Amino acid sequence: MNTSEKNVTLNTNNSSQVPGSHLTRDALFELEQKEKTTAQKALDWFISLCPLLCCGIALMEYILIPDKYANKNPERYAVLLLIPAAVYLIFWIRAFLLYRKGKRQYFRDIRHRAPLYSVIYLLLTALDSLTLKTGLLLYPFIPWVNDIINAAILDWPMLLKSTVFTLRLLFLGYFGGVLAGLITGVACGYSRRIRYWIDPVIKVLGPIPTATWIPLIMLLATSLLAGSVFIVGLGTWFAVTVATMTGISNVDQSFYEAAKTLGTSERQLIFRIAIPYAMPSILQGMTQGMSSACISLMIAEMVGVEAGLGWYITWAKAWAAYNKMFAAIVVICIVFNFVTRVLDLVKGRILRWQIGVVK
Amino acid sequence: MADNLTLNINHVSKSFARIEKDDITNALADVDLHFHSKEFVSLVGTSGCGKSTILRLIAGLITPTSGSLDISGTPITKPGPDRGMVFQKPTLFPWLTVKKNVEFSLKMQNRLNGNEELVDRMLRLIHLEAFKDDYPGQLSGGMAQRVALVRSLISNPEILLMDEPLGALDAFTRMAMQDEILDIWQKSRQLVVMVTHDIDEAIYMGTKVVIMDANPGRIRAEIPIELTYPRNRSSSLFVEYRNQILEMMELGVKE
Ligand SMILES: Nc1ncnc2c1ncn2[C@@H]1O[C@H](COP(=O)(O)OP(=O)(O)OP(=O)(O)O)[C@@H](O)[C@H]1O
Ligand SMILES: [Mg+2]
Repeated sequence: MNTSEKNVTLNTNNSSQVPGSHLTRDALFELEQKEKTTAQKALDWFISLCPLLCCGIALMEYILIPDKYANKNPERYAVLLLIPAAVYLIFWIRAFLLYRKGKRQYFRDIRHRAPLYSVIYLLLTALDSLTLKTGLLLYPFIPWVNDIINAAILDWPMLLKSTVFTLRLLFLGYFGGVLAGLITGVACGYSRRIRYWIDPVIKVLGPIPTATWIPLIMLLATSLLAGSVFIVGLGTWFAVTVATMTGISNVDQSFYEAAKTLGTSERQLIFRIAIPYAMPSILQGMTQGMSSACISLMIAEMVGVEAGLGWYITWAKAWAAYNKMFAAIVVICIVFNFVTRVLDLVKGRILRWQIGVVK
Repeated sequence: MADNLTLNINHVSKSFARIEKDDITNALADVDLHFHSKEFVSLVGTSGCGKSTILRLIAGLITPTSGSLDISGTPITKPGPDRGMVFQKPTLFPWLTVKKNVEFSLKMQNRLNGNEELVDRMLRLIHLEAFKDDYPGQLSGGMAQRVALVRSLISNPEILLMDEPLGALDAFTRMAMQDEILDIWQKSRQLVVMVTHDIDEAIYMGTKVVIMDANPGRIRAEIPIELTYPRNRSSSLFVEYRNQILEMMELGVKE
């Protein structure tokens, strides 16, 4: 009795005096880091300010060095340079204030991004001096940034129209392909008899790049839109079908058995067990399908469909309007990046349950 | 719910085709068992003697090579929620949260509406309310097995089949869960068939202990345990039963 009481008191003492028991994650990180010297700290602060410095360099280069070619609306590029720098400055001030309050992770984050941003500004500076200032870089094929901005602003209705067309085609083709791929994939993964017939088709046609079919489909399709949607969707269909099929035919039998004893119907087995189980594989197929759709989309627009950003690029090139061509390329870059980002977000959300699962 | 059902296993044999050789495994040979509601059957035997195979036959997941199974005359042809099964490994669905796993069976039968209270009660029963929104990947083995148990219990099956449900638990939780299961069984009065490796557990819980032989799987003996609940593990009768069963199992090994 006596000893056990003693133990209890000892224990309570221990738990209240564990070192670092009420540390925050941030403080723990600081504790485990090596203490930095004053010089290192100063260097960190200097690097965190580098993007602003490099923005200054880019601006000075742009304003002070005389132009070799006529440059309309010169202020536009300057504004483009300044906006990100201003945003960065706001975040820097916030990090600075939080740093003084002891929250250092925001500063660490800023310090981590600073070198990349600085290099981007320096690259822009180099591009400007090689094009607008000296014309050393393949003039007139590669325009300077302000020229691209001017082209984009001048021709924005056309660019917007092309972008909308491209997005529409992408989504129609992509989601059509995903839907068709899910249906064939589930059917093949679930039923051995259907797989028997679809498998050879996939084996024979699968390795042929989608673009190969473009001329034929353009001939056969009843409408241009239907044809192009088909081309965009074809690669997606293929990727999603294969991924779904693999995912579903790998379903652990014990899940089916458990579900059956819990009263699942055949239909529910597909939608409640097979598809959720195959989801990681399906989403991987969808990502692959997206890149395939983007490629076929650009080729289709450049070859046959007389609209969209791909067509805009070939059209601008034919008129030697290289600044417009680059404007379209930048838009494509932004659009495709955005689409991929959204897909990644969806993927992360659906696959939350995988976090921490050891496999 | 049929209160007086009889589970008949009529001279059942089961053989499996081997994958490697052109050969078969005789898992069960002429097993003849008849159980009734309100019975708690403990099934013991050496590893590989066909205990899981018997449960899977009752569940309707596999069909017998010869012989037949029926429940009060109705042949068992396919799995159904009237025969709940807790598997040797938990097989929780990793893409569903603990709560969604527990209510799975209700949802599949469109009975979820109005039964939310039942779901909460089940979670409370296994002391996992705090984990209801976690995914099975974040649970320990014992926690997962507890979830699997209530997942099968929730639709109130007439026959509950359990394949070493407490194998993954530590001694202390295991004893607590034994009492929990007995409590549930005494309230619902269903037929329980439980496979176990632990002879003490078999005697502590069962109204009847069925001992099996291996190669091929046969029934060696059915021993009714005539002790009142709650049972005392160190009572002389309990020890007697234990010695009797151990002796029989050893005989089986020697043969
Ligand atoms: N699906 C199957 N295919 C082939 N053989 C099987 C299959 N299921 C079981 N067997 C064989 O049947 C025999 C009995 O297996 P069973 O799983 O019923 O044993 P058990 O008594 O549950 O063993 P344990 O206590 O180790 O779980 C074993 O020899 C096993 O190899
Ligand atoms: Mg087993």
